[in-house]
Amino acid sequence: MRLLIIEDEPDLLSSLAQALREEGYAVDTANNGEDGFYKAENYNYDAVVLDVMLPKMDGWEVLARLRKIKKTPVLMLTARDQSRDRVRGLDTGADDYVVKPFDLPELFARVRALIRRTANKTTNAIEIGNVKIDTAARNISRAGKPVELTAREYALVEFMALHRGEVVTRTQLYDHLFDENDDSFSNLLDVHVSNVRKKLGAEFIMTRRGHGYCIE
Amino acid sequence: MKIFKSIKWQLQLWYGLILVAVLAALGVTAYQLQRNLQFSRIDGELQRRFPPLTDALHAHGRGPGGPPFEGMPPDQMPGDLPPPDDARPHEFHLPPQAVAFFDANDPHNFYFTIYRDGEEVARSTNAPAKNIFSQDDSIVFASEPGAGPGRPPQTVTEGNIRASIHTLPTGETIVVGCNIANELHELNMTALTLTGVGAIILFFGLAGGWWISSRAIRPVENISATAVKISAGDLSQRINSAEMEGELGQLAAVLNSTFARLEAAFAQQKQFASDAAHELRTPVSVILTQTQTALNREREAGEYKQTVEACQRAAQRMKKLIGALLELARLDAGQEQMKRLRFDFSKTVGDCVDVIKPLADERQVNLERTLSPVEIQGDSERLAQTVTNLLSNAIQYNHDGGVVKISTRAENGMAVLIVSDTGQGIPAEDLPRIFERFYRADRSRSSGNAGLGLAISKAIISAHGGTIDVASEENVGTTFTLRLPLT
Repeated sequence: MRLLIIEDEPDLLSSLAQALREEGYAVDTANNGEDGFYKAENYNYDAVVLDVMLPKMDGWEVLARLRKIKKTPVLMLTARDQSRDRVRGLDTGADDYVVKPFDLPELFARVRALIRRTANKTTNAIEIGNVKIDTAARNISRAGKPVELTAREYALVEFMALHRGEVVTRTQLYDHLFDENDDSFSNLLDVHVSNVRKKLGAEFIMTRRGHGYCIE
Repeated sequence: MKIFKSIKWQLQLWYGLILVAVLAALGVTAYQLQRNLQFSRIDGELQRRFPPLTDALHAHGRGPGGPPFEGMPPDQMPGDLPPPDDARPHEFHLPPQAVAFFDANDPHNFYFTIYRDGEEVARSTNAPAKNIFSQDDSIVFASEPGAGPGRPPQTVTEGNIRASIHTLPTGETIVVGCNIANELHELNMTALTLTGVGAIILFFGLAGGWWISSRAIRPVENISATAVKISAGDLSQRINSAEMEGELGQLAAVLNSTFARLEAAFAQQKQFASDAAHELRTPVSVILTQTQTALNREREAGEYKQTVEACQRAAQRMKKLIGALLELARLDAGQEQMKRLRFDFSKTVGDCVDVIKPLADERQVNLERTLSPVEIQGDSERLAQTVTNLLSNAIQYNHDGGVVKISTRAENGMAVLIVSDTGQGIPAEDLPRIFERFYRADRSRSSGNAGLGLAISKAIISAHGGTIDVASEENVGTTFTLRLPLT
């Protein structure tokens, strides 16, 4: 899953991005509204974490403009905690509203919920054959036994599981598993797919030649 | 008693008293006039009857013998005529028209009695038997004041009888009287009518007065009710002065504007407190996120160091903010004792310029100073704080290679400091608001500026009895003008 964080406070932005990357997300960042909007416009992020007080274009405007063109889930991050600010945020199109200061675990949970909801899932558990995926705990078990996966491998499995039944193109996988800071070689993706097949079964991820991959 | 403290009741009471007094005066006057009218009419009648009697007396009084008193109605016996006495002229003869004057059929019952030397010498048939003017049947009116020969006629009223007494120069006393029972009755009726009408008028007058004073007092009650609501906490209430005119309308208008100022002041206070808490949220957020991330897993020393440094930065920000907030709070409460020392403000300004020079050099901004000595009285440290704030703003919002001009001079009894820069300027719509607390033209926080610098500066300047003004043009520059009273 690839996220975009738009926040102007540098110390906050850096640690938030780091924390989310360590959670297994690919994270892009922007420190002002203009750049943030530009990026959100051009990539299909799985979720956007948006601060309200931004230079060049404030969060409200970014949100309003984004909503005209995309359905990307947006979680608003702000110091304004008044009910009317929350109402405004939610009515303008935000999917969730978190007040600073916040606890990281809570932020993580809300991001997960956003992504889950977008994938039309209601629980954190996904079952595919004898493979069980717990998206909250971010672990996978096969036939009851836990399976060790790297963060990237987990991210790959989670993404494909959430798009179960769809054909996912390689480009999509690039866009959602790597962020702007990654120097991605095209065969890195193949390596990840191959590793997942080794751990979860060759049939787990099917290849559609010329189109992409899919989990059935 | 509480009721007597009410304006309405007091008004009513005084109004009622005055009304009663006026009505009483009118009534009494009307009654008196009526009475005078009645009596003067009666008196006129009485007086009319004297000449014939006088004539009869003089014409016939002194003749020896003569026909007995004529003029009595034929079916009446001559009454108590005293026995003829040759020494006394006692008979007289009333001509017929005079007789008509003393017609017993007339309800007034005009009668006459004539006395000489204290004894009755003639009377009309309808004269009252008893001499009402004597205490014990003897004639005492001779000693009445005014009675006596040649004196002016005297008019007396006793019971239902009104009589006029003439004393002739020849010594006789003629009493002509009549029954004024009817008149008295009429007067009583008049009195009763007047009282009755007066009572009705009083009633309606009081009722009308009550209505008027209620109407007059209602705006006051309206104002009072609104004030109660306001003091209970709802500062948004206003007096509905749509129908109030004149003095009360003015009062309502003044009160309304006072309430508006009160509401604004409270709102500003609330806003300030809320903004202050708000500003602290971000540094706390930084610390929380940084530390929680760092603690999520084992880190290397370098990473921990970075986290700790970030926390320090945040804490410094909070320290600055808290200091600024406390300063403002103290200035607000008037608790700050401003030092009152004399000093040369231009020297203070010069020192500030020196201190800020490194920052200016960094941004390649030139500082031009023209400082004339100006002596003022106040707190040099705080004013230095203000000057530094203005200078750092002038540098910060300037273009690289720009200029900041600083000058001090005395003008019109004021020390004037001008700081002007060639920077990005301030948009016209922001200009009136830059001295507001937490107001930043650049709405973000990344510059680390909480927006309190100018608010504090303004508070300090006001505490010194000075003023600060700003003029600006976008992309041309900004000029701040500070005025402080000279000693």
